[in-house]
Amino acid sequence: MAEAWQFLLRRPDLLSGWTLQHLYIILVANGISLIIAVALGIWITGRGREKIADVVLYLSDIIMTIPSLAMFGFLMPLFAALGLKSYGFGVAVTALVLYGLLPVIRNTYTAIKEVDPAVVEAGRGMGMSELQILTRIKLPLATPVIMAGLRNAVVINIGIAAIAAMIGAGGLGVPIFRGLRNLRMDLIITGAVALTLLAWAADGLLGLLERWLTPEGLKRARKR
Amino acid sequence: MIRLEEVTKVYPDGTEAVRGVTLQVAKGEFCVLLGPSGCGKTTTLKMINRLIPLSSGRITVDGVDIYKVDPNDLRRGIGYAIQEIGLFPHMTVGENIATVPRLLRWPKERIRRRVEELLELVGLVPPEEFSKKYPAELSGGQRQRVGVARALGADPPILLMDEPFGAIDPITRERLQDEFLRIQAEIKKTIVFVTHDINEAVKLGDRIALMREGRLVQYATPAELLAHPKDGFVRDFVGADRTLKALRLLRVREVMEEKPPTVEASKPLAEARERLERLGVNFLPVVDREGRFLGWLNRTNLRPEGRVAEVMTPYSVLATPDTPLNEALSLMFESAVGNLAVVDGEGRLRGLLTFRRLHEVLRESYREEGQG
Ligand SMILES: Nc1ncnc2c1ncn2[C@@H]1O[C@H](COP(=O)(O)OP(=O)(O)O)[C@@H](O)[C@H]1O
Ligand SMILES: [Mg+2]
Repeated sequence: MAEAWQFLLRRPDLLSGWTLQHLYIILVANGISLIIAVALGIWITGRGREKIADVVLYLSDIIMTIPSLAMFGFLMPLFAALGLKSYGFGVAVTALVLYGLLPVIRNTYTAIKEVDPAVVEAGRGMGMSELQILTRIKLPLATPVIMAGLRNAVVINIGIAAIAAMIGAGGLGVPIFRGLRNLRMDLIITGAVALTLLAWAADGLLGLLERWLTPEGLKRARKR
Repeated sequence: MIRLEEVTKVYPDGTEAVRGVTLQVAKGEFCVLLGPSGCGKTTTLKMINRLIPLSSGRITVDGVDIYKVDPNDLRRGIGYAIQEIGLFPHMTVGENIATVPRLLRWPKERIRRRVEELLELVGLVPPEEFSKKYPAELSGGQRQRVGVARALGADPPILLMDEPFGAIDPITRERLQDEFLRIQAEIKKTIVFVTHDINEAVKLGDRIALMREGRLVQYATPAELLAHPKDGFVRDFVGADRTLKALRLLRVREVMEEKPPTVEASKPLAEARERLERLGVNFLPVVDREGRFLGWLNRTNLRPEGRVAEVMTPYSVLATPDTPLNEALSLMFESAVGNLAVVDGEGRLRGLLTFRRLHEVLRESYREEGQG
């Protein structure tokens, strides 16, 4: 522990560099993932798409069960075959985008499906277009649940992103793996503690965001 | 005006929910679609605002085929309220009521005024307070009122209502029905109202369309429906106590004895005794100098000396000329003297409702029932 502290005092720039790198990977990956997942989650709630919804949810479920090392193992040759750089940032972000899909797709899908049909019928009966029903009713009501899915995805991905250091993506995995190779406990502890704190912080902040984005009317409904 | 011509609905699974219904609702008329569960009321209603597409036939609103207009424009001009209400839980009461005005892009100030006006109309006062609440903070009855206010949002000439008072306790339901009748008297909308409750239909409707298995069986005024049910189905559906239901259609003013004999409170009892004896009655209504009703003078309470005011029994129940006869009947059972005094808004005695008069009315309607 003391060694880790010493290391930190000596090279604070290194730790902040790894942390920022880590955050950057997560931000890009979960940002892309969020957009795809929400769009897909909304799309599969459409009338007559029940079959497609089943397939999409099943596939994203399967993705979640692929171990992360195996995922990199699949993606690297694929990138190489496509003539892309087969290691580093690109591969890491692609894997994390895939891992980030399921929690958000599933939450978007269920939250929208669970909007009270009477509420939707009232909107439609008063002359709201399908787009207005989506943006003014379904999405605001689904937002807390979608946010919970995002929070879940981010926390999972913060862990997986550490492993991505093995394929040269940088981030807080770097000190841990370097420490493991050279038996440098100070590096391992620094990396591990920073990684954990980052996951907790992200969880907490996204929790606050979730609460902030929850419509006031729903908060009051929950209090009863 | 709403016209349905040979309207038919066959669902994709083959269910024939509505079969050749033809029916017309005049401007300002309150039409009730009545019938047992599953007879096609909701389907019929939702075809009018195109929530359910027609299989065949034609529906026109003010002479225009509803399939000639954009469905969203059509619906913004037709108020819609359902049993489940479907208030938007993430919007305030004010925002809920403003739904259609917003869709129609009314100016903010006009919307605000309209919301207040509607909240007052449905009795959610003070409006500034209710407008800021969320649906979760309201009682069932209050929510239903908001549902009605929201349906009236942009002052549409037509209202479609699907069992809007169905999920409420009986007492609140009665009150909402009364309030709604008062509102309708004020706003005169063309209304199509779905219910499976014959009492509600009789109470609210100008005309009742009784449906069975997708077909329109009888389309008539409540009085006609009760007095002359077209066939056994209608007779069974309206029930054995048709006569009592028919009472609901009559108002006290139609059967009360007008200008009944009275006695003034300040008169000496000797004079009152003479009057009772001359009229051959046991009770007389007591009024003040301005003709306001005070109570009853009972023959058994007479004393040789004093004035009427000293021995009078103050009244316990009253009716107004607009009280429905069924309510008046139960009030009469509460009244100490059996007769019911009918007073106007200023408390002046307008008439008396007596058991003798009520008996005559009942006998008349029994005779009609015998013929029907
Ligand atoms: N979407 C639907 N698909 C198939 N059948 C339906 C559908 N909606 C209603 N029905 C059937 O149509 C008939 C009429 O239903 P409905 O209009 O809801 O009756 P009501 O409102 O009088 O209770 C019923 O037999 C019902 O089961
Ligand atoms: Mg129904």
